[in-house]
Amino acid sequence: MVQQRMSAEDTKVAMHSVVGEMYDKIVKGEPPTMTLPVRTKTNIGFDKKLGVYKYGKKRSTRDATSLGSAKQLLRALHVIEFIEEMIDSGKSSTLREMYYISESWGLGKFGSQNESNNLAEDLEIVTRCLREDFKLRPEEDGARMIGNLTIQERNRRGEWMRINARDDVGDSGYGVPYNVEKEKIELLEHDINFIMAIETGGMFDRLVENGFDEDFKCGLLHLKGQPARSTRRIIKRMSEEWDLPVVVFLDGDPWSFRIFASIAYGAIKTAHISEYLATPSATYLGITADDIMAYELPSDDLSKKDIEALNAELSDPRFADSWWQEQINMMLELGKKAEQQSLAKYGLDFVTDTYLPEKLAELGLA
Amino acid sequence: MSGIAQKLAANQKQVAISEFFEKNKHFLGFDSLSRSLITAVKEAVDNALDACEEARILPTIKVQVTKIDTKKDIIELKVEDNGPGIPQKSIEKVFGQLLFGSRFHAIRQSRGQQGIGITGVVMYSQLTTGKPTHVKSKIATEATAAFVDIGLDTRKNKATKSNSGREIWEEENGEIKKHGLEVTCRMKAKYQKGRQSVWQYLRMTSIVNPHAEITFTDPDGEVHFWPRVTERLPRKVESIKPHPHGILLGQLQRMLSESKDSRMSVFLRMNFSGVSGRAAKELCAAADIEVNVKPKAMKPEQMRALLEAFQGERMFNGKPVKLLNPPTNCLSPIEEMLIKKGLSKTIDSRYATTMTRVPSVSLGNPYQVEVGLIFGGNMAADKPVEVLRFANRVPLMYQQGGCLLTKAIESVDWRQYGLDQPGGKGVPKGPAAILVHLASTNVQFTSEAKEALAENGEVIEEVRKAMLEMGRGLRKHLEKKKKMAKTKEKFELINDILPAIAKKSAEILERPIPNLAGSITKIMSAVISESETVWNKASKMSDVSIKIYNYTARARAYTILATWPEKSGGIMKNNVFGGRKEATGVWAWKLETLQPGENITITFSLDGLEKGDWTETDVFYRGSQEIIGALKMDEKYLEEIRNQEKIMQELESKSDSNVAEAAPSEATTQDEAANRPEPAVKPPTGQATLFGGEL
Repeated sequence: MVQQRMSAEDTKVAMHSVVGEMYDKIVKGEPPTMTLPVRTKTNIGFDKKLGVYKYGKKRSTRDATSLGSAKQLLRALHVIEFIEEMIDSGKSSTLREMYYISESWGLGKFGSQNESNNLAEDLEIVTRCLREDFKLRPEEDGARMIGNLTIQERNRRGEWMRINARDDVGDSGYGVPYNVEKEKIELLEHDINFIMAIETGGMFDRLVENGFDEDFKCGLLHLKGQPARSTRRIIKRMSEEWDLPVVVFLDGDPWSFRIFASIAYGAIKTAHISEYLATPSATYLGITADDIMAYELPSDDLSKKDIEALNAELSDPRFADSWWQEQINMMLELGKKAEQQSLAKYGLDFVTDTYLPEKLAELGLA
Repeated sequence: MSGIAQKLAANQKQVAISEFFEKNKHFLGFDSLSRSLITAVKEAVDNALDACEEARILPTIKVQVTKIDTKKDIIELKVEDNGPGIPQKSIEKVFGQLLFGSRFHAIRQSRGQQGIGITGVVMYSQLTTGKPTHVKSKIATEATAAFVDIGLDTRKNKATKSNSGREIWEEENGEIKKHGLEVTCRMKAKYQKGRQSVWQYLRMTSIVNPHAEITFTDPDGEVHFWPRVTERLPRKVESIKPHPHGILLGQLQRMLSESKDSRMSVFLRMNFSGVSGRAAKELCAAADIEVNVKPKAMKPEQMRALLEAFQGERMFNGKPVKLLNPPTNCLSPIEEMLIKKGLSKTIDSRYATTMTRVPSVSLGNPYQVEVGLIFGGNMAADKPVEVLRFANRVPLMYQQGGCLLTKAIESVDWRQYGLDQPGGKGVPKGPAAILVHLASTNVQFTSEAKEALAENGEVIEEVRKAMLEMGRGLRKHLEKKKKMAKTKEKFELINDILPAIAKKSAEILERPIPNLAGSITKIMSAVISESETVWNKASKMSDVSIKIYNYTARARAYTILATWPEKSGGIMKNNVFGGRKEATGVWAWKLETLQPGENITITFSLDGLEKGDWTETDVFYRGSQEIIGALKMDEKYLEEIRNQEKIMQELESKSDSNVAEAAPSEATTQDEAANRPEPAVKPPTGQATLFGGEL
């Protein structure tokens, strides 16, 4: 299921209600405010209907009683005005461009790029719009894909281009654009059994070189670390529209667990649009804590930060099920982590000839 | 001459100068190569300062240290001043002939209570390099300067004179120098940098002598300059007679034997301070002495009895004889404002507080404590604070740990005042320097090196009290700074950001700009004070304005209090708001009602101050609702001010009665030198000071 997109007019109305909250407070003789859900792991809960994690009921009010908050409100107003201008003139800008444009906003200018990114997210949350509605583009790098699947993408000239991600692309695969909504991309046809999302470029290239996509009839997708929104969105669309299983192949460390959670359950930062980005049916393939022992993989000691992250995950509602609790505790006991590429200990083909077939067989995919 | 003088003068032929020096180098300040140089600078500079002070001249002093032979540690020292100079015929007496100066005899606060003066430098130079000391002197009434080389014939133990003549003395700018003295000597010594150095000595000297201009050229040719920050010379100090509480048996014996008085009652009344006619009779009665007895005829047991009566061990009518305190006008404190200036010109800082306690008396000796604290600026935040100790305006540079002044600093828990102090013990850490000055007619040192002050419960308590008060001042300052930053933010919020929010939201919604008054009250929800102290060039006054805003929903009433430097001569002018004086240096205004949204401004000007004297006015309030930007009046603070006021008044009334009683005769026969440790080996001849009264 896909969230309804907003029209330009709806977007403006939603933004005006944010402005109205501030304005009305001043008229009433109160400090102006902006009400937001609390954006931490203490305020995310499982939405049974949607099958993903969403923000809970906790709200925080940002009011203009401190200088910092007041400046945030002023910035929000400037951003809203800027978005309205873009909607009216049919333009879009990157978040980074908006950060630089804010130089001319006087008191409302951003102190850092991070501030402008966060504010864009805040506005998405309160208006229930998407940043695509705001005409704001991320800087982040989209994924690349290889496999026998065909899409069509509308190019700059407004023409639809048909692309097969095996036959029409080079070794680096098909680059996923930042906007993967229907107005930009349509999923046409495929001859694959599942999608495999891979954390590192090295492993992606290894599987491509070994022809894994053809041998196992799958689509390979390079996540490039913490996956961008468009990456998560296209995984979700392929999974739902083509009804394909998704397996996720990552390093075996606490950070990979988080990457998986953001793909499968929804990220804390974007929990307002989890139903739009998360793929609840995705499966964590490896590297698991079991694998480190079972395959006697070369491993590194957990750092202090790793241990902190694992402990934080133990109380994260997304990792509350028994399998995750077991994996996290096992890794803590082991005190070790391992990279995907440590499988090369047994030779370059070990991953495609032995490890992945064994793991996929457990899931009934090979 | 008596006491040490007689002892020193005796057997002079038998002891060689070199032996005398060797055996007493500790006592004389020449015990190490680096200290020798500091001692030489100290003797010359102290003399220059004393001479200028006596002649009421603002001192300009130039010190130059040059390395002559690094391998052999030979250094040349040149000290030039603009003092009155010395008449030609007196030069060799001052530098060569070892006479006693008058100051050993008088009881008063003076710098030169140490060593044997400049003669020691001449001796040391001669002994270590064989070179005489070159002296150039010009007095105002003569057209040219006299010069002469003064040395010592170590075989004959006699001063030598050579290469004397007269010359024209020009200043750097080509003008003829009006008057002054220049001393050049070569000695075996080491120039060091750091906490125990010529630089530090001059820096500290400059702090407590804000009326002096000091230039120091170090061996690397680097010029250090400490400007004059006030035109006011230190007060001329009066000599006083000894007080019975501070006298020792030896002194009493001498005074009695030298007395020409015919009756004991007259002797007591005329030769001591604090002894009235009634007290003189009562002391005699307590000691079982006839009032008519001639002082010279006193027997040893009677002397002892008299001393016991002095100390209250022998009673009159079952009570110790009541004595008045000695007058305290013999002390010359630097005074709060000048310490502040001295500190501020020397050390870069953000905050300076100083305080001069009222004079007090311990064991018959008047003394006065002054303290200063500066904070912030470029000082290191993670090191112990710099402790600047002074006794009678003389820097104390050695034996910091064993000194009473340091112990007083260490007795305070500085953590509660915003400085680090591991375990609440020791010298605190932080970007600060603490100054302590003890002015007294009789400074007691722990040893003959005269670098650390001896324990004295009363003095330590007095220093401690001053420290606590300064600590409170520092805490207030830090709190105020924090609150000021907060207030500044709030003002930015309501003056800039909120109007911008109102305007922008109105624009987007295409509605009228709303009124902000209600939101402002809710956002601030406080009473706020902003104060400003600025120097008014035109009127030559410091203009103070204190603005109080009521950003609460209710009417408020307060008493607003502000400090002003009354003790330092600040005079309140143009105080249109009226009010009344609350205590010394604290003014109060009553604000009956301040309606919500209202503000009120109190303004006044301070006359009688120089630019930079007063840059921050403390604002206090009495009232239930907090005022951001002002401090709740600490009634303890007022109480301490009032205590000091009371003591001051009592002292004034007492010193008046003392003046009335004071004997017309100038001479005091008291010999304070008897108190001091004496050299193990006697010097070959007498002792001289630069401006000894016997010249």
